Amino acid sequence: MLPRSVQKWASGCTRSLQPRVCTRPFATSPPRRDAIERDANGHLDVGKLLSIPTWSVASLLTPKDQQTPTPEVSSKQLHHLLRLSALPPPKDTAEEAQMLSTLATQLHFVKEIQKVDTEGVEPLRSLRDETAQGEREAELGMEALRGALEQEEIRGTHHRRIRRKAGGRDGEEGEKWNPLRTAGRKRGRYFVVEGGKEG
Amino acid sequence: MRSSTIRTAPSHFARALQYTSPGLIRCPRPCIVAKWLQSRSLTTATAHEAIPLRKHLKDEAKRKKADAKRDGNTASTKPGGDPRLEKWELTVGIEIHAELNTASKLFSSAPAEVLESDNGGTANSRVAMFDAALPGTQPQFQVATLLPALRAAIAFGCEVQRQSGWDRKHYFHWDQPNGYQITQYYQPFAKDGCLVLDASDGVPALDMQGADRLRIGIKQIQMEQDTAKTTNVGSSTYHVDLNRAGVPLIEIITLPHIHSPQTAAAVVRKIQAVLKSVSSCVIGMELGGLRADVNVSVRERGTSGVGSSYSGVSGLGQRTEIKNLSSFKAVEDAIIAERNRQITVLEAGGVIEGETRGWTLGATETTRLRGKEGEVDYRYMPDADLPPLVIGQDLVEHLTSTLPTLPDELQQELQDEYNDAKTLIDLDSGDRLDFFLRTVHSVTAELGMSSQAQIGKMVGNWVLHELGGLLTTHQRSWDDVRVTADELKNILLCLHRKQITTRVAKQLLADLFQRAPAPAARPSVEQLIETGNLRLRPLSEEEYRDLARRIMEESPEMVKAVREKGQKGKVMWFVGQMVRQGEEGTVEPEKAKAVIESLMGG
Repeated sequence: MLPRSVQKWASGCTRSLQPRVCTRPFATSPPRRDAIERDANGHLDVGKLLSIPTWSVASLLTPKDQQTPTPEVSSKQLHHLLRLSALPPPKDTAEEAQMLSTLATQLHFVKEIQKVDTEGVEPLRSLRDETAQGEREAELGMEALRGALEQEEIRGTHHRRIRRKAGGRDGEEGEKWNPLRTAGRKRGRYFVVEGGKEG
Repeated sequence: MRSSTIRTAPSHFARALQYTSPGLIRCPRPCIVAKWLQSRSLTTATAHEAIPLRKHLKDEAKRKKADAKRDGNTASTKPGGDPRLEKWELTVGIEIHAELNTASKLFSSAPAEVLESDNGGTANSRVAMFDAALPGTQPQFQVATLLPALRAAIAFGCEVQRQSGWDRKHYFHWDQPNGYQITQYYQPFAKDGCLVLDASDGVPALDMQGADRLRIGIKQIQMEQDTAKTTNVGSSTYHVDLNRAGVPLIEIITLPHIHSPQTAAAVVRKIQAVLKSVSSCVIGMELGGLRADVNVSVRERGTSGVGSSYSGVSGLGQRTEIKNLSSFKAVEDAIIAERNRQITVLEAGGVIEGETRGWTLGATETTRLRGKEGEVDYRYMPDADLPPLVIGQDLVEHLTSTLPTLPDELQQELQDEYNDAKTLIDLDSGDRLDFFLRTVHSVTAELGMSSQAQIGKMVGNWVLHELGGLLTTHQRSWDDVRVTADELKNILLCLHRKQITTRVAKQLLADLFQRAPAPAARPSVEQLIETGNLRLRPLSEEEYRDLARRIMEESPEMVKAVREKGQKGKVMWFVGQMVRQGEEGTVEPEKAKAVIESLMGG
């Protein structure tokens, strides 16, 4: 919602007009159909305004009218998916039925999301600086590799080859930890794994 | 090797030990097998006997001949001898994984190579918290790993992409602590390169099709992480060592332009040589630094197979993948076995399934590892923890301009000028070649360009055979050689100007070889000649005849053998006697031989 100062300015200068779409430039849900109630002084009851949600994710979970029946997930597919994710298989048919129904609602949700038109939109991979300045800073050129290039030397005069200088590491003096202390099963300096039938 | 070490080594290496030439009984093929065993601490022999270079080269040639003969018995050696090959055409694509020569791992600052202080390498000693996949740890791209990767891409003529991404390849295995491998599936950092081969690389004439070069396209090169190392101890118990987890690899994917097993092995050899020359990957296939997976398919000549295509090459048969081939010979043999199997199945009316197969050394057929139903779904997705890789053009240009000489160019240069230098290329990681070139250049500077080929031959002989002989006699490695190029140049100049004899020159070399290196006082060649009174004081014709007659009088039986029995070879015995009995540095063998022959004839 807009800051109070902006609301006051807006209500001040356009008292009779409905708030237009331009006051909600980033909104994706349709504006409220009913008029926003103001009291005699033109003050907005923000608490009342915010008490009733205009949209809920629940609208995407339950299939409306069962119009488009979501494709059934077979028991075989469920077991395959559980195996890919290294999750334990269901203990009994009741748990399996519950897993299948949860999966069905999740799939319905995903399909509703997929209905959004993303033509020409690059998928977001991570939150990072995508400006031109950001890309210039992230570029790995001569400056960024200067330290690494100094660690190399040329060996030979007529037949020149590249060698990394020995012992040039600053090393991990700080991080001297023993990875084996994280394991329950070990033998000497090795982690032990039982291969078993899975191979 | 004691028998106990042979028993614990895996079966395919035990079989490899059988194929050694009988001459080297105590140290069978020390360059390859012993190194493998030593790296796994399975041998107790700390120093193996030094084998003379000439003997080693001869034995290798003998072994190759024996191998070729053995293979020739199983598959026809006549060109196009196997009649099925006239009907069926083979297509092969290769994927090579090579360990990059870097100081640290790809996404953590743990060391990628064994530290000098850590003799042999303790297991699980070079593991950062991210490599062990502790919850909450994040990857951090180590920029220094970019240098060998970019050099490899430039060496293969690839287009380096300014922006490339990091993706996760999910699968569960105990050698993958994170549950996924970070690779570059959607956007590799280099694309569209090529590898050029010719007949001297081992490509059969049939494949060359009349051209003098064969171009194999390289689809892409991408960077990815290596997995941990697992060793099987006992029936189903495995030991896991995370030292190798996260070490940077590059994966080089070729296009299916290869049509014979020999070409495939030649491609792998060439790729290894190129990577070594730009110091991107310096560990060879025998030591596990390079691994190859091959994709094999056959189709009837003139048809378009089952219509499969790969990256623009269409009309291929159904392909199968053979994973984890760890030697050049294994690549060749596995492809031959798989090709034969596929032809047999297709001729019997069957259908090839797209499966993954494995190969063990000494087997006759590939074994099935995974069928299509066991195919793993890797669920590739971009890694959200890592920003995209942006490579600057200035860096690419700098590396292109400072790229070391590639094997093809080097061979061309050396072939034009010095024919013998080819054997020097592989010795001592190029140090000996550098020494050779320095000596040749300084000698040529003094003597002039006219006799360059001769000079090259002479210097080549001395660097390869004389210095090589001294190295083995005194059991030293090239790093310990104290003779400088200048000293060798001086010796050779004196020899060329006939100031000393060959025998004296060899003695001087041996003397300088033994002395302590600079800054200890090393006498110059001139000083040594002076103090040892080694300068050639040529004898007059009279003095030669006198000496010759004296020796002939001392041994009349030998004289009889030459004159009457016609044993011309014994003349050299007389020459030897003259050199021994004459004063050091006075008798020249060629003149002595001429004198003796004239005396004998007369």
